[in-house]
Amino acid sequence: MSEAGIGGPPHVLLVEDASLVRLYYRGALERAGFVVDEALNGIEGLERVLTATYDLLVVDVNMPKMDGLSFLRALRGREPGVRAIPALMTSTEAGDGDRAAARVAGANFYLVKPVPEGALVAHARALAGRRA
Amino acid sequence: MPLVRRDPPGLPKAETATPAVRSAEELGTALGSERDLRGREALLAALLALADASAATALARHLRSEDAGLRNACIETLQAMPAAALPVLPGLLVDPDSDVRLLATEVARAQPTEVASALLARLLEGETHPNVCGAAVEVLAEAGTAAALPALRAARTRFASEPFLPMAIDMVLARIGAGR
Repeated sequence: MSEAGIGGPPHVLLVEDASLVRLYYRGALERAGFVVDEALNGIEGLERVLTATYDLLVVDVNMPKMDGLSFLRALRGREPGVRAIPALMTSTEAGDGDRAAARVAGANFYLVKPVPEGALVAHARALAGRRA
Repeated sequence: MPLVRRDPPGLPKAETATPAVRSAEELGTALGSERDLRGREALLAALLALADASAATALARHLRSEDAGLRNACIETLQAMPAAALPVLPGLLVDPDSDVRLLATEVARAQPTEVASALLARLLEGETHPNVCGAAVEVLAEAGTAAALPALRAARTRFASEPFLPMAIDMVLARIGAGR
């Protein structure tokens, strides 16, 4: 059972299909004190958020089966406890349209890859401290 | 009560009933404007049934789409027809648009190991965009062979100051090295 939200270490779910990116994010976030879970696409991500409690989601855009934007749209339509989880979206796409699409889908912040470790941790700390 | 339902005469046939008789180009064009997910699936299935160069070209066009769901669906369909996708891959991997090159690395993932490794090593040799290199390295983590080692080492040097890439390349170099 997750301790998210009750004073334990913050729990973050990585929704990312790239295994090396997950490894990089996991290392950075664990060194910063986060407890990290992983999902390989949006469908796995939805399954995770419905069965555990998270303080933050780190979500990629391009993923098989369900992309990150569809995942966030589905998430924001769920019950209050689930739809309020803050989401940090990371993507290779740097255009204004991409950022706007992420915001409309429900992302709280958008970082363009490659994401430096310090920026990932700083934004994760800032977002995990509040509910969207 | 008849066992077989008969549509009343004069009704137009459903849109999804016609894809099989369309050309790949027409199917690809229809895919770009299809908003209904079941209609999109029918069009993708029709292109997959064709599984030829024209179908691969029609699918590859949508790697430029603003619609992430469509892009990913086309990648998955191209991955499901590796022989048909192979002729379009070299062009995609040198496309002027870095987003297209990046997505093409995912298409390459479904190629036979030696083919994918050679294609992505060639990409790495001249690629300047760190995210495209990152995507290629991700695929090489699975498909990389010893032939890709020089390109990986050169990219490691070129991108030494980037976040993520040095760690990722070191992982892949170790994996390929361990398998030799």
